[in-house]
Amino acid sequence: MSKRFLALLSALLVLSACGGGGTGGGTKQGDKLTIAIGPDPDTLDPMRQTTTTIQNIVSMVVETFVFVDPDGKYKPLLATSWQTAADGMSWTFTLKSGVKFTDGTPFNAAAAKANFDRVLTAGNTCPLCGAFRGVQTIDAVDDTHLRLNLKQPIAPLLGLMTEVTFGFLSPLTIAKGTDAFKDQEKPVGTGPYLLTDRVKGDHVTLTRNDQYWGAKPSYKTQMFKIVPEAASREALVRAGQADVILLPPASDIPALQADKTLKVILAPGDRTIFLAFNQSAKGNPLLQKPEVRRALNYAVNKELIVKSVLFGAASPMDAPMASSLFGYCKTGGPYPYDVTKAKQMLADAGASNLSIKFIAPTGRYIQDFQAAQAIANDLTAAGVKVDGPKTSDWPTYLGTINVPPASSSVDLHLLGWAPGFLDASQAMTQFQSSQWPSAGLATSYYKNAEVDSLLAKANSESDPAARQADYCSASKLIWNDAPWIFLWVQRFPMVTTAKVTGVQAIPNESFYTVYASPA
Amino acid sequence: MHMSTPAFITPEALGAPALAPEIAASVRPSAAWRRLVTHRSAVVGLAVMSIYAVAAIFGPIVFPFNPGQSHLIDVFLAPGQQGHLLGTDNLGRDELLLLIYGSRYTLSLGLMAVALGLVVGVPLGAISGYFGGWADIVIQRLTDILLAFPPIVLALGLIAGLGVGLRNVVIAVGLSSVPSFIRLVRADALRLRELPFVEAAVALGVPHWLILVRHVIPNALAPVIVQATLSMGFAILLAASLGFFGLGVQFPTPEWGQMLGEARNYIFSDPNLATIPGLAIFAAVLAFNLVGDGLRDALDPRLN
Amino acid sequence: MITYVARRVLASVPTLWGVATVVFVMARLLPGDPARVIAGVLASPEDVERIRQSMGLDKPLLVQYGTFLGSLLRLNLGVSAHTNAPVVEEIGSRLPYTIELAVVALVLAVSGGLLAGVAAAIRRNTMLDLLISSFSVFGVSMPVYWLGLMMIIVFAIDFHLLPAAGADDPASILMPAVTLALFSLGLIARMTRSSMLEVLGQDYVRTARAKGAPFRSVVFRHALRNALLPIMTVIGLQFGALLGGAVVTETVFAWPGVGRLLIDSIFFRDYPVVQGLVLMFGTTFVVINLLVDLLYAYVDPRIHYT
Repeated sequence: MSKRFLALLSALLVLSACGGGGTGGGTKQGDKLTIAIGPDPDTLDPMRQTTTTIQNIVSMVVETFVFVDPDGKYKPLLATSWQTAADGMSWTFTLKSGVKFTDGTPFNAAAAKANFDRVLTAGNTCPLCGAFRGVQTIDAVDDTHLRLNLKQPIAPLLGLMTEVTFGFLSPLTIAKGTDAFKDQEKPVGTGPYLLTDRVKGDHVTLTRNDQYWGAKPSYKTQMFKIVPEAASREALVRAGQADVILLPPASDIPALQADKTLKVILAPGDRTIFLAFNQSAKGNPLLQKPEVRRALNYAVNKELIVKSVLFGAASPMDAPMASSLFGYCKTGGPYPYDVTKAKQMLADAGASNLSIKFIAPTGRYIQDFQAAQAIANDLTAAGVKVDGPKTSDWPTYLGTINVPPASSSVDLHLLGWAPGFLDASQAMTQFQSSQWPSAGLATSYYKNAEVDSLLAKANSESDPAARQADYCSASKLIWNDAPWIFLWVQRFPMVTTAKVTGVQAIPNESFYTVYASPA
Repeated sequence: MHMSTPAFITPEALGAPALAPEIAASVRPSAAWRRLVTHRSAVVGLAVMSIYAVAAIFGPIVFPFNPGQSHLIDVFLAPGQQGHLLGTDNLGRDELLLLIYGSRYTLSLGLMAVALGLVVGVPLGAISGYFGGWADIVIQRLTDILLAFPPIVLALGLIAGLGVGLRNVVIAVGLSSVPSFIRLVRADALRLRELPFVEAAVALGVPHWLILVRHVIPNALAPVIVQATLSMGFAILLAASLGFFGLGVQFPTPEWGQMLGEARNYIFSDPNLATIPGLAIFAAVLAFNLVGDGLRDALDPRLN
Repeated sequence: MITYVARRVLASVPTLWGVATVVFVMARLLPGDPARVIAGVLASPEDVERIRQSMGLDKPLLVQYGTFLGSLLRLNLGVSAHTNAPVVEEIGSRLPYTIELAVVALVLAVSGGLLAGVAAAIRRNTMLDLLISSFSVFGVSMPVYWLGLMMIIVFAIDFHLLPAAGADDPASILMPAVTLALFSLGLIARMTRSSMLEVLGQDYVRTARAKGAPFRSVVFRHALRNALLPIMTVIGLQFGALLGGAVVTETVFAWPGVGRLLIDSIFFRDYPVVQGLVLMFGTTFVVINLLVDLLYAYVDPRIHYT
């Protein structure tokens, strides 16, 4: 090898002996927490953000009315209390007083109104606004009271208020109007951290807000390193160059769990993974029979796949939605694995020589393609002829399944669905016949009139108890109809070094490191 | 006029001309062949190439199994376990089988790309050098433009526009090898058209295309053969890079570059998944480079 | 000399224009509707139409071409479909990282390659020559991404010596730069060796030695200086090649440069950025070519009188 290279190498040995590993070094208070994430932020503007992990980061800077805690419960944050009118046509929020944005502007109803107005302005991109567009007008009643007047009752409004999409930026930065995108790339909020540095493609750095109105965090800075490769993230945490990482390679989870210097957190999530049957008129007519679909549910050994293919990073589904969502109720347990029963049911339904076309994505969900392979094996063992699983890149995959029923081309496809806030309303759109593509994303083309009316009722119902009951009834019907092969709810794996403690997770695939501290 | 040199051809290949008739005797095929086989590294290269060729052509016939057959019970087996000579991958598929089936894709990608380069580049170069004038200017400009893009950027840009898959990789990689053939053949054509026997042929009324086909191109073949061999090595590297990014042959069809790209996520579970296809690619490219070097020395002993 | 410079600069203009045209043609090769692709899978037909009109995709091809050239001259490369920031900003924020990487790699490749090539030429046909020649040919055969992965395993994971990813640590440039330099190092070493061999065989070198000049002085003052001219051309062009090699290296090492931006943009279907990047790479190469030619003319006394 060239002498030059050897010289450089030995110089480096000296350097690294002096330099140290790269993280804060564990002082009492905590200097720097390094977290390795996968996606590079396309935008830091909370209104336009759609990636959960980036919303996660922004929510440490920009706060909302309501906060979701690690148990999935709604807690007051910038709103101390709220009330709905009896007819459900307006909501009034009482704001916390004495809060300032990090640029000195006071947080009050006028500031809140300015933010909501921006989000509702026609021509502004707000992909996750959704049901919020049902708000007609907003009144700043006084400095600490804000009233939202609605066009019709919005049942999940409180859930929406937990999303950073509806977080509050300093009015100074949004006053210029819709062209001032540049300012929103440096969000100024009221939160425990402020954004101090960003290098596109490399990292985002947050620094502690020493004027924060609440409990101050331990770590002075938190740096989010952008590392797209899962194995590279794992390399960083193993080498001590990152304190926390998200989503390690699933196949390494057992080895990481065995490593005493690391801690693996398999946080509960809200992402349901399922196989959608094509129930349109263009699909295989046998799949229109609920008995056939139920039979295939019995044919897949979900527990074994979760254990051996996903390495425990999921929990089998026992309802059409994750248990962390409002509106969840157990519908009677997962379809147990029973190949004999499956074969019998298929024979009874006249589907013994069922043949299906199966596609699955690759690298989109934890072990997605591997799981699809295992599922294909299970289905074959039950006597089904499986063509596939075939795969493609994500945009092509979406393009294949997000088509009107007449253009559908596959019988079974694997998909995952995680609502933005912990409420059944978004999750259940998968079962509404009004949400078939291209109007929506209900790619199984399922239709059940009774489910439709129950869901419509629940979506506009103001009484939480009544909503819960409606969702529960709908869930039981759906479970029995089996428009999907119900697979599992994905967990959210994180790995931390043993030198850090207090790293938590919120059950909507979010990490919560605000109050982490050196161990 | 100063010509820009493509980054991956060596100046020897550029300067290794077809020899004037008086020295031609020393490059008669038998003499050249004798020199080649005494060139040790070239022989090693040839041996490796033959092994690969045999594996690619006959492998799937000898092992008519489905390489995509996955056994999720048997993931990440080490080489030698349970009859898997090279172990298994993350889906439980046999590595050796994947390597053999993958060789077809990787090697044929290189072959077809260079073939494309030859078919397009040699005639264009001959026309450019022989006729001169406007044809020369236009073809040279086009070559300059093609050479302005680093090969991988050109390939990525084409794939972005055309889409992924085998055919588009061949086009993208083939296009990058065209300029070197144009330049090589042009240099020879320029020199050859001044030679007396060509002037005589023209005076006798032999049509130009016949002169090109029967005299110009055959005499330019020596450096072209050297360049083709060296280009094969580079084409395999480039095609495997595209596969590495997931832009070539699509998973789960095996191709060495794509296998290497997949292996990135399993570096901790099983580094072999990266080492094996990586070694395979490296050995293939090395073999072509060694043989190319040997051919160059054999066909033009002056430059050793 | 001035006339030569002027002529050479003018000669680059058609090439630059050709580069821009090729990029335009490549971008229009898209199968399907570019407006739909940019709007995204979830966009409504109205959104797609809006995008089509705002990008001028409904106008005839020649008009689009004219607009394209016009905006290029004003350095307007459009807006990223993924982030809505100007393409120039997306590229500009990442370009310094790639340049830094390419420069360090070039320094490594040139110093290593020259040293190795000279050593091999002087000690021709010895063990040293064999070692260096083998290393060079290994260098041009090695898949960069494989080497990069191996280096990460050894230096970052096994020995905790170097950062495994990212650019925030000053030591993090080392592995990517070395990996990137390898191909060029091999090429430069081979080039230097054969160029030196050719020069060393010349009459004037033998004369110098016969006159009793020390070997070292002969090598450096006469041989290397004359061998340097063709080597310089290759070095200049290697910088362009290094820019291309950065694409793979940056991906393996999570280095935030334009190479990684290119790969990411292809996967995001962010065609404005892909187009801008390909254009940038092509233009850079032409400019480097031009500078190398001018430098060559400056150094080579024979050209002064052209």
